[in-house]
Amino acid sequence: MHALNYSLNHLTPSAIVTPTSATEVAAALQAATAAGHAVIPWGGGTRQHIGAPPTRYDVALDLRGMHQVIEYSPEDLVISVEAGATLGAIQTLLAANGQWLPWDPPLPAQATVGGLLASGAAGPLRLGYGAPRDWTLGMQVALADGRLVRSGAKVVKNVAGYDAHKLHLGALGTLGVIVEVTCKVAPLPAERETLLAVFPERRAAVLAVEQLRVTPLQPIALVALNDSVEAMIPALNTFREGQPAHILVAARFAGTAAAVQRQICEAARRCAELGARTVELAFNDDEALWITLANFSAPTRNDALLVRVAAPASAVMNMARMMERVPMVRNWPSARLLLAGVGIGYTRWEVGGIPPQEQLAALDELRAAMRGIGGYAVVEEVPTALVEGIDRWGSAPATLELMQALRRQWDPAQAINPGRYLVP
Amino acid sequence: MIAPALLDALRQAIGVPYVLSRAEELMLYEFDGSALDQAVPEVVVVPASTAEVAACVRLAAQYGLPVVARGAGTGLAGGSVPEQGGLVVALTRLNQVLSVDPVARTAVVQPGVINTDLSVAVAAHGLHFAPDPSSQRASTVGGNAACNAGGPHCLKYGVTTNHILAATVVLSDGNVVELGGNAPDAPGYDLLGVMVGSEGTLGVITQLTVRLTPDPEAIRTFLAIYDELEPAAATVSAIIAAGIIPAALEMLVGEGIAAVEAAVQAGYPDDARAVLLIEIDGLHDNLVVEAERIAAICSAHGARELRAAADEAQRAKLWAGRKGALAACGRIAPHYHIQDGVVPRSRLPELLRLTEEVAERHAIKVVNIFHAGDGNLHPLLLFDLREPGARERAIAASEEILRACVSVGGTISGEHGIGIEKRDYLSWIFSPDDLAAFAELRAVFDPSGLLNPCKLLPMGSSCADIRHARGALKALERGAWI
Repeated sequence: MHALNYSLNHLTPSAIVTPTSATEVAAALQAATAAGHAVIPWGGGTRQHIGAPPTRYDVALDLRGMHQVIEYSPEDLVISVEAGATLGAIQTLLAANGQWLPWDPPLPAQATVGGLLASGAAGPLRLGYGAPRDWTLGMQVALADGRLVRSGAKVVKNVAGYDAHKLHLGALGTLGVIVEVTCKVAPLPAERETLLAVFPERRAAVLAVEQLRVTPLQPIALVALNDSVEAMIPALNTFREGQPAHILVAARFAGTAAAVQRQICEAARRCAELGARTVELAFNDDEALWITLANFSAPTRNDALLVRVAAPASAVMNMARMMERVPMVRNWPSARLLLAGVGIGYTRWEVGGIPPQEQLAALDELRAAMRGIGGYAVVEEVPTALVEGIDRWGSAPATLELMQALRRQWDPAQAINPGRYLVP
Repeated sequence: MIAPALLDALRQAIGVPYVLSRAEELMLYEFDGSALDQAVPEVVVVPASTAEVAACVRLAAQYGLPVVARGAGTGLAGGSVPEQGGLVVALTRLNQVLSVDPVARTAVVQPGVINTDLSVAVAAHGLHFAPDPSSQRASTVGGNAACNAGGPHCLKYGVTTNHILAATVVLSDGNVVELGGNAPDAPGYDLLGVMVGSEGTLGVITQLTVRLTPDPEAIRTFLAIYDELEPAAATVSAIIAAGIIPAALEMLVGEGIAAVEAAVQAGYPDDARAVLLIEIDGLHDNLVVEAERIAAICSAHGARELRAAADEAQRAKLWAGRKGALAACGRIAPHYHIQDGVVPRSRLPELLRLTEEVAERHAIKVVNIFHAGDGNLHPLLLFDLREPGARERAIAASEEILRACVSVGGTISGEHGIGIEKRDYLSWIFSPDDLAAFAELRAVFDPSGLLNPCKLLPMGSSCADIRHARGALKALERGAWI
């Protein structure tokens, strides 16, 4: 393995450590802390674009050698794995038993479970099944001083000890490196089908996604996207042919065949009332579509700016308007994907050739608008010119002091991912 | 004796009627829902706002007084018992549903709102609050959050932590912070995630934003009746293994069935060895298929009979029986000690057998009425405190059962909490390093160590300091007179 493979923003590590056990991870962290070295934990590298570039970088800690399934008993619907196992490998194992982890983050074949949890990844299935947080029963984590600590349990219900594992979700390793994860899993639904509906404009589409969540409809995933996203999906080419600019809504239903059919029919009726043209994708067709949609937030390495926005569910109409308006008034092409019902959106601005100051001004405008509706904007991928000069996380919450105290407690030397997270 | 100056300051902060300090007032706050631990607080405050809670906590900090938050006092592990004396903050006057957003499916509530009252308040919108501990007619949403409460329907809908979106919290220095929020995944550590289930040791929750769940289109409730124990337990595993996640999957074993039937007359067969209360909900198209498969599984496992609730009234009666089981067992013996271990579902048959063996060996009656679908056992050990040695035998039996849960890969508490009762068992499942990390987490939130001291974690050094510093004010030994 070459050090260049682990470069981040022109920084290259002087050492690569490839542990095969929790104890080895702990030892590596202990040694780094003692030596004042900075460690960047690596899984599949699919999420290293998240967060600011590290301020220091000595050791790449590649956890992919830790990919064992520690325990899996299908009848108990619980699985424990080492953090370096890819989500794809786990799903293959589960599927052989008619089960799955109802998570659909980007690039599951490369992404490791530990990396996905540490970087707070999720996907459209979150609407129907909840976030990975709700499925994570426990963890073992290596702290910066070399201690290995557990929280949670290997059964589906537990209130012993603090739910300390939740602190590591989305924390980019800044409180410790996840080495083992225990999850609840679910039976695979008998049928899955998707309804696609094309709306002439945003407002009707956003009204539709509200209607598509009202009883008896219970979509497991529901997204609205504009044509730039749609163009990325070859399966939709015939469907979108000859359509003027529009918004596409995709609603995925699961359950028994009868329940899915009834929901598809009712959903189609509601969309038609709002002026949409619809089409239905059966089980075998819809898998590829949802993989592509989930991969929307994967890094492109183009000169594009990818921003994740979120707002309270009651403000989603406004959020969708901001996502559209900020790039539109600047004539920047943008691809926009809204996880309806969840309250999260992704917007990617094609900003090649645009001066950095203008990009930052647009981001400030979006951030101010999102703050105004109780939301926020986090920059996930940035064009090369802006790597150092952009604030990824936005304004810190009032509880930053508590967060800093936690980081001081568990990584006082800032050995893990220094400078990258909101709590640097 | 509490400092008169502190009493005056508390009265000034929240009003004279809401500061309780007479012996007969304090006695009402010396216990929770378990019979084992009691202790009298030095003073009780009943504040009416976040600001008043903060003022009281700030004063307690100034005087070095422990602070114990209390909802309805239905806890089963001593979590709200003021073992180290100090100030009890009763949150019962903070009992308003402040707002409901039917589109976002959220509600903002004060912590003293009773669980069932919240669901009643949002019923007109076709919504409910999913966590449904058996205490739900009395227990508060704040207490549910503090203990990460469960309930039968958590099998499908998840425990309380999955339903809490944000909380306003008073920290041990009296500062007020907002954790979580309505916009998902905001940057920063998930402090809300550790606050929920922290049993009042990290902060006092004074307001909550909760997730509401749409009412299902259809519900079907069944009673599967068995003459033997093992086939009933095996049915539980078989239903889950068949890929069905019922809304609830409860089991009642032995003498408890007759006690429940005597209390509610819901049609529980008093001669059965075991019954399963099975509920499925969702779209009626799904239920048709699931009901057929469940019937086939029950019959293949030798159920004597499978009855379906004919209507909502019958369903309500069946549930009243299940949720009132703890009270109904008062017919068997006056006192109880209830355990809350969790095991992998596939290990239920052996654990059920073991609880009965252990109880017999310790000459204690045991009734198992529990969340079978989650593998969450509730062996209810029944005894009479007036009988010398009964309490000790119940505790010994309970410890043996919990150790068995741990030895098959389970845990010591699924939903009731650790409190006083199980704090010394934590070392059965966590290493010294794990426990040290928990203590460090606690110290970050509460450096003073005054929030619900000596609870949730083993009696360690920080707890010993508190006990030493408070000298004679430590827990008072009282005779059992209940």
